[in-house]
Amino acid sequence: MSDHTNKQFDAEMESIRSGVLSMGGVVEQQLTRAISALEKEDDAQLLDAVGENEVAINNLQITIDQQCAQIIAKRQPAAVDLRMILTVSKIVNDLERIGDEVKKIAYKAPETYGNARLARVRYYDATQALGNAMSMLRLALDAFARLDVAAAAEVIDRDTAIDAAFASILRQLVSYMMEDPRTITPALEIVFIAKSIERIGDHAKNIAEAVVQVVKGKDVRHASAQEIRAEIAQP
Amino acid sequence: MRSVVRRGLVAPSIVAALTLVTLVVAGSAVALGVLAIGAAAIVAYHLWNLDQVTQWAGAALDAPVPHGRGAWVETFAALHRRARSRAAQERDLRQVIDRFQQVAAALPDGVVALDASNRIDWANPRAQAQLGLDLAHDRGQPIVNLVRQPEFLRYLEAGDYATAIVVGSSRDAGRMLALQLVPFAVEQKLLMSRDVTELEAVARMRRDFIANVSHELKTPLTVISGFIETLQDLELDQDQRTRFLQLMQEQARNMQRLVADLLTLSALESEHNPLAEERFAIAPLLLELSADAKALSRGQHQIALDIGEAATVQGSRDELASAFGNLVSNAIRYTPPGGTIVLAWRVDADGSGVFAVRDTGIGIAPEYLPRLTERFYRVDRSRSRATGGTGLGLAIVKHVVLRHQAQLEIDSERGKGSSFAIRLPARRIESAPDTGARIAGPGAGESAGQAPGELAPTSTEAQPGTAP
Repeated sequence: MSDHTNKQFDAEMESIRSGVLSMGGVVEQQLTRAISALEKEDDAQLLDAVGENEVAINNLQITIDQQCAQIIAKRQPAAVDLRMILTVSKIVNDLERIGDEVKKIAYKAPETYGNARLARVRYYDATQALGNAMSMLRLALDAFARLDVAAAAEVIDRDTAIDAAFASILRQLVSYMMEDPRTITPALEIVFIAKSIERIGDHAKNIAEAVVQVVKGKDVRHASAQEIRAEIAQP
Repeated sequence: MRSVVRRGLVAPSIVAALTLVTLVVAGSAVALGVLAIGAAAIVAYHLWNLDQVTQWAGAALDAPVPHGRGAWVETFAALHRRARSRAAQERDLRQVIDRFQQVAAALPDGVVALDASNRIDWANPRAQAQLGLDLAHDRGQPIVNLVRQPEFLRYLEAGDYATAIVVGSSRDAGRMLALQLVPFAVEQKLLMSRDVTELEAVARMRRDFIANVSHELKTPLTVISGFIETLQDLELDQDQRTRFLQLMQEQARNMQRLVADLLTLSALESEHNPLAEERFAIAPLLLELSADAKALSRGQHQIALDIGEAATVQGSRDELASAFGNLVSNAIRYTPPGGTIVLAWRVDADGSGVFAVRDTGIGIAPEYLPRLTERFYRVDRSRSRATGGTGLGLAIVKHVVLRHQAQLEIDSERGKGSSFAIRLPARRIESAPDTGARIAGPGAGESAGQAPGELAPTSTEAQPGTAP
């Protein structure tokens, strides 16, 4: 961060940054819980904890957004600071959406329990894809903490793997559903779960793109991976 | 008189003498000129040296001290001594710091030094690995930006650091870290991190064990008592009675198997039960296993036996038979009908003997491998129970393997199949190449649709984290 003569301003900027990251921490914890909801059966406490955390995430979003609005009103930030505040507000939005998707996964998981065939898809493929999405989010948040565009680019690259995992889960489920119509209802639930995982990947990618934007000052939201890498390579 | 003053007076004395001589020889005008030139030279000389000192003082700390002449020799020499001793002191200090850093780096636990505003000041390599920090970039970064677990944030803010907290690692799924803050100096803190995955796993295993045993015994008991009630209360025809009794018998067998496995385990664990060492030929044991495997599979799988090199093994035949048998029955239970199971024995170049079971079954995801030998651990509960597993098979294998100083090597790919191998140490193997190169089990070749001799040698590389 650039040095301001006004130390108070610095502290405020630092505080919203740390606020975003601590909100990210809560979302990461939610993801761990969603993974155990997919892995294990019968854990009612887990779902309660997910519900509580979801409320905490929503409150954090509101608090951080208010902080951003206050800084804009009080300090009229320009250049890098304004970019940072706008980015923070974007990232907070994505984190909240990830929270929503995680909640969906955790609540839908029990509806797929007890079906031995689908259990394999749920145990292995969905859990693994969710694990990948989680490490993407972790990397994206680390990239934001360090303002590290190279790590952000890696997150953007990894999104394709999540998309591929989604397509593969879908194919498997379709073949199960064709074999045995009784699997259709739980299989559809897994489709929703897989879609949520894919969305988490997208949101993590958005966060990474926001990091590139705040560091490089360039909007890379609709750029291809190559264009992004070219942008990062520029000093 | 001090030597600096003495040396400093040499040049003025020469100038004064020259002036006097010229005054006598050439008159006052020339003498005045000589005096002026001499004085100017002396002033220039001192100014030049003064400039040297000033330049040196302003230069880098390790810049060499310039050499001086005349009055300045001693000054420069003193400065030179001072610089040397400062360098030596600095070297000593740096050595002390280096040693401290080496000590901190060698600590088995992670250590992060935090400043008054909880920013990262320093971290040892272990802490960097455990917490995913990179000191090159992260110095000065608030610790909570990178260690984001909400539990840690609460712990840090609460200010009560008497006990450690245990959090899941966000870097390495499934690992547990104990984090503790230790305040030191003024407002500064040390963050200690320790990997407690194994400790937590042991604690969890203990908690789970009793619950599991009761649960596993309760399930068949519920079924049996349900049938008993039905038989008591209802008039049933002969067919129904027979069917119910059969189901009851099945459940009773499940319980028997479970109790037998539990007894085996406790016998294996018991300190008063030394290993019954004996020498026996491996080939007949393998033939028995292959026959058992076919009986268990009921023709649903292709079962092949590949004895690379017959050998005599030293160890407990019963225990090894039970361990090998558990691997074989696992392979059959986790391979869908139509799959292939290969039982193989070979003696490696280093003299160790390897019994391997390869299947084309459902495979195991890598994250489940470390917990596989825990009692009652099942990757997929419903499947395990449906196929009649007690959940203790691999725990028994692990104990037998430990008692024989052997190794369990697991190589598995999800969806492709698994390979479980027990590697017996060389000193337990006596190879007997004459007695039987490649013996096929009776009928093994036909069912596999492939002569056993053609089977490729099994490859079972050790996987990380699977050796018990």
